[in-house]
Amino acid sequence: MSLLRCENVTKRFGGLVAVDDVTFEIKHGEIMAIVGPNGAGKTTMFNLINGVFPADEGKIWFEDMDVTDFPAYKRAHLGMGRTFQIPRPFSSATVQENIAIGAMFGASGSETSTDMAMEMADHYIDLIGLKEHRDKPAGGLTPIEKKLVEIARALAMKPKLLLMDEAMAGMNPKDIDEMVVFIKHIRDTEGIAIVAMVEHIMRAVAGLAERVIVMHQGALLVDEPTQKALTDPRVIEVYLGKPPEDEHA
Amino acid sequence: MKNTEKYLPVIPVLVAYAALLAYGVLIPGKWQIASQLAFYCALGQAFNLFMGMTGYVDFGYVAFLGVGSYGMALPIYHLSDKGLGLWLIVIGIFLAAVFSFILSLAVGAVALRLRGAYFAIATIGVNEGFRFLIEGARIWNGSEGLLFFLHMRTAFGKQTATAISNYWADGMVFAVAIVAAIMTLIYMRNKVGYALTALREDEDAAKVMGINVTKYKITAFITSAVLAGILGATAWSLKYSYVYPSDVFEIHYTVEAIINVLLGGAGTLLGPLVGGIIYGVSKYFLAIILPGFQLLIFAPVIIAIIVLFPEGTVGMLKKKVIGTPLEKYII
Repeated sequence: MSLLRCENVTKRFGGLVAVDDVTFEIKHGEIMAIVGPNGAGKTTMFNLINGVFPADEGKIWFEDMDVTDFPAYKRAHLGMGRTFQIPRPFSSATVQENIAIGAMFGASGSETSTDMAMEMADHYIDLIGLKEHRDKPAGGLTPIEKKLVEIARALAMKPKLLLMDEAMAGMNPKDIDEMVVFIKHIRDTEGIAIVAMVEHIMRAVAGLAERVIVMHQGALLVDEPTQKALTDPRVIEVYLGKPPEDEHA
Repeated sequence: MKNTEKYLPVIPVLVAYAALLAYGVLIPGKWQIASQLAFYCALGQAFNLFMGMTGYVDFGYVAFLGVGSYGMALPIYHLSDKGLGLWLIVIGIFLAAVFSFILSLAVGAVALRLRGAYFAIATIGVNEGFRFLIEGARIWNGSEGLLFFLHMRTAFGKQTATAISNYWADGMVFAVAIVAAIMTLIYMRNKVGYALTALREDEDAAKVMGINVTKYKITAFITSAVLAGILGATAWSLKYSYVYPSDVFEIHYTVEAIINVLLGGAGTLLGPLVGGIIYGVSKYFLAIILPGFQLLIFAPVIIAIIVLFPEGTVGMLKKKVIGTPLEKYII
């Protein structure tokens, strides 16, 4: 049984087809990367998966439940967590409160009291190593700390699937390597499937993902194991253009 | 946090209202000013429950006070000779709550789908619309309003009626203020408060976190509206024994509510109280010292406070006390 299945999903914005007839599956506990150049439709795909807006066509299944018409908050209750490209913590709330909000309203939110949520938040604060910032407003953190708070907040939701939007954009190679280790650690300890969206940091993709989906102009171009996908001539063409000899052909 | 510790901030609120009440009761001739201040505090506390906690500004807010005042006026006007006695007041408060509940549900179901400035613009017409509806369709006596001074005397007797207008109505305003403050604290300490904080900061992120934002916005909106309805019923109808549509749907009161909340600090518990007192006292004394010029002086004072303390006086104080024992009390 797959965890998530997208069937012929299409989204249009006016005349622009942002996501064009995309079909793929995600298995339990898998780390997958969605890559593609700017404008390929990756973020739209993310928004369709977690219900920020509805798909125009196609179906989305989560654990064999048709969630196509579910609003974002219901999908979160079923076990979808998400982080944003530009971190969006609740600025006035403290780090602990931010993460506790994830626990309060996520997949196990209905049986989590505010006190329990605060305790859970402490656990995730230890995990991301921001103990000294626990009672500070999240708005005052550095961008990387905000990103970590966002990841912790999503994890506190106890998701089965975590969608990470450009988790490593703007980081230096050392931070990227650490983040890759951290994300793998999360997958191994929490047993959740992770879909990471990456625009062009192939170092991260190669180190992290077991499978890669390449999107181009809204369509799904390649769905292969990582090494095979990254050496696929079509993928290279999307990023670098055609080799010079082909131009005259 | 232990349960008792969570609710400690109610202490300064209760102390402040007790002090205000004592000032009005113990010092001769100060009851009216004390009760007027209590009205501003109550207005701010009730408004803060929605505006402070969600970040949405409802410009039509006075409509809830307006329908609430009709909720009290109607039973007294129509049923004064039925021998119901003080039950009329209970019925009036109940009707005020029902009217404002229904109106807030109707307005909320439509306008709360909009965000930010769009919500503010959508609500701006609610009070005016209601006034024109009552005047134009001649509902509830239309523009002539309801005068029930004599009905009050018939229903409660001359002495009781006078006591209700002069003291009880004001006492109930204190009660509304305190109930609104307690409701605010209860919301803050429970899931609804965290949900409102999240949606105030970032509504899209809140949805993705599993928060049914519409449900929580409507909850805060209705709570705030019902408190406003009861405030209108007590502070206006019971106190003045008349209701004119042109008075009770006056946008001026919405603006006062916004100022009280901003002066004190939106989303804080003590803010509306402090803001209401700053506003009430300055308005009162400026009107005595420089009658006619009070608004001219008042406007720059408000601008200065809001520029200097964008988070309000209590918002600023809250930051100052972080790390001190006062932290537990001031929120």
